[in-house]
Amino acid sequence: MSATEATADDRPVVDEHRSQWRQTWSILVSNRMALFGLVVLGLLVVAALLGELLAPHGANAQGFEFYAAPSLDHPFGTDNLGRDVFSRVLIGARTSLQVGAVSVGISLVAGTLLGLVAGYRGGWLDAVLMRSMDVLFAFPIVLLAIAIVAVLGPSITNAMIAIGVAFTPIFARVVRGSVLSVREEVFVRAVRSLGASDVRIVLRHILPNVAAPIIVQTSLSFAFAILTEAALSFLGVGVQPPTPAWGLMLQEGRGVIDLAWWMGLFPGLAIFLTVMAFNVVGDGLRDALDPKQRSIIESRGQGVDA
Amino acid sequence: MSAVTNATDPGAAGSGRDDVLVDVQDLQVHFPVHGNGVLRRRVGSVKAVDGVSFQVRRGETLGLVGESGCGKTTTGLALLRLVEPTGGRVVFDGTDVGSLGRGELRSLRRRMAMIFQDPYASLDPRMSIGASVEEALRIHGLHGDRRDQRVAELLETVGLNPDYASRYPHEFSGGQRQRVGIARALAVEPDFIVCDEPIAALDVSIQAQVMNLLRELQRELDLTYLFIAHDLAAVQHISDRIAVMYLGRIVEVADRRAVYDEPSHPYTRALLSAIPVPHPGRERGRQRILLHGELPTPQDPPSGCNFRTRCPEVFEPCDRVDPTLQACTGEEHRCACHLYGVEGVEVEPSHHPDARGVAGRP
Repeated sequence: MSATEATADDRPVVDEHRSQWRQTWSILVSNRMALFGLVVLGLLVVAALLGELLAPHGANAQGFEFYAAPSLDHPFGTDNLGRDVFSRVLIGARTSLQVGAVSVGISLVAGTLLGLVAGYRGGWLDAVLMRSMDVLFAFPIVLLAIAIVAVLGPSITNAMIAIGVAFTPIFARVVRGSVLSVREEVFVRAVRSLGASDVRIVLRHILPNVAAPIIVQTSLSFAFAILTEAALSFLGVGVQPPTPAWGLMLQEGRGVIDLAWWMGLFPGLAIFLTVMAFNVVGDGLRDALDPKQRSIIESRGQGVDA
Repeated sequence: MSAVTNATDPGAAGSGRDDVLVDVQDLQVHFPVHGNGVLRRRVGSVKAVDGVSFQVRRGETLGLVGESGCGKTTTGLALLRLVEPTGGRVVFDGTDVGSLGRGELRSLRRRMAMIFQDPYASLDPRMSIGASVEEALRIHGLHGDRRDQRVAELLETVGLNPDYASRYPHEFSGGQRQRVGIARALAVEPDFIVCDEPIAALDVSIQAQVMNLLRELQRELDLTYLFIAHDLAAVQHISDRIAVMYLGRIVEVADRRAVYDEPSHPYTRALLSAIPVPHPGRERGRQRILLHGELPTPQDPPSGCNFRTRCPEVFEPCDRVDPTLQACTGEEHRCACHLYGVEGVEVEPSHHPDARGVAGRP
């Protein structure tokens, strides 16, 4: 075979090879806010997995003083039934994360699928799919979720389904928009010229190239899903008592806020911290995955090093 | 000479250099233009390729030359049916490409490949170059158990170190990426490769390397090329024959030497006169033919000869007779110009905004 003249052109531009995802990770953790968010999320996951073991008391263990103010024994106080609020907040993390994971999972899968098909196929199918997404999108998300729960009956499962459906159009739109630009790329045409099937083109080439906005949207939606679950539980159509859930606890504490402020404050703070953590991680991911931002961040990093 | 020969069909037995591999007949690609109204009615069409016919013979390189926007890339894409032609036929080795179903089209794409202009855009940024090349093998189920080995061979063939297979496109220079693009095109062991301005986006120092690589590969693998370029200088060395395209049509097609020695169409002459000569004395004496005006929009081409709005030789029949390719200096040298006899289809003359007064020269 031909040994074509090997010249300076033969050496790669970058010597050390780092995978793109690892590079993204190192940019992400160099962002202080995102790092903070990641730490909070890590603690949340630990609480969700090991809540029962870590909590000083059971979620529904009673027998303590009613409405006890925060003390060493009960750092977040006790509630109207004499339960330890700290233990309930800790164990409630599982409910929130579970609702977030399942509902975002539903909307992620459904929305990505719809967006890929609509964006890649185009034409009337695109019009039909996206207009029906617009119909869903036209309702306020909490209202739509309440309507779905009203039909299915109030339970945590139905709340997750409702939130999942309500969030699907967001994913469908984000994915379709990205697919529209990626499918016109020359490399897609190049792969088609090799005889690749549509399924291969979509799964192997288009999906990885629209992954960045999907990932960002997932982390932001997580925050909104947890917030929506709290709202639904607050309104009494989500998680049912006595399951510990932050929104439900907030609602229970609302009526006695001048008598026992700790009943509402600590679950509220938990919601606030979780939602903020997901948001800052989402923002950090967006910056880390955007090639333009990325080179700015990298050059800034180099400037500091030098 | 030929290391790999895929042409083993008995019908082509005894065929020499002259047998036709790709036969393009009256190819048309029109893109619809929609209005802004609610109904988005079709208000016209861009005639990107408007009745192009040519043949590519087995083992030769046909250079396809024309300025930006003349439809040469669209022609290349239509040959592989990467854009759907709106009219005409493409016959590849006896098969009408337009009549194929999905599956047949995919297997045909094993025999036709394309090298793209922009090596920065034609590789998936999220796939290592080895995976990109391997994918071509995977699609057609080639070399099932020893794909890695074959990928290494292919990278070596195009002058890249096989150890780089796990690296990503952004780690390579333009010339290297174009080599990857060539390796990927070769992976399917094609007979015919459409090279769409493969060197236009590269540094001058790299252009010659890639050009030489393409020529070597042609010799070794018995390839047939359609080589698309926007200037005659680029195709000069690699082409056996050259077709010159203007505004969606072919205006002249001839042997390479004939195009350079006896350019017949006024447009070809203008293109040729634009090539600088690497000799100070001759360069000083070089006569340049400057074309006036802009390329007319392919949405509303002039009537008759569509070059007439910029042609220095324009005369009476140009706006009412649509010239067809006719023999000029020899049977093999064909040119669509009334200077060699008014031949073509009578059309209704239209007043084109860019048209200059008819000079009345014969």
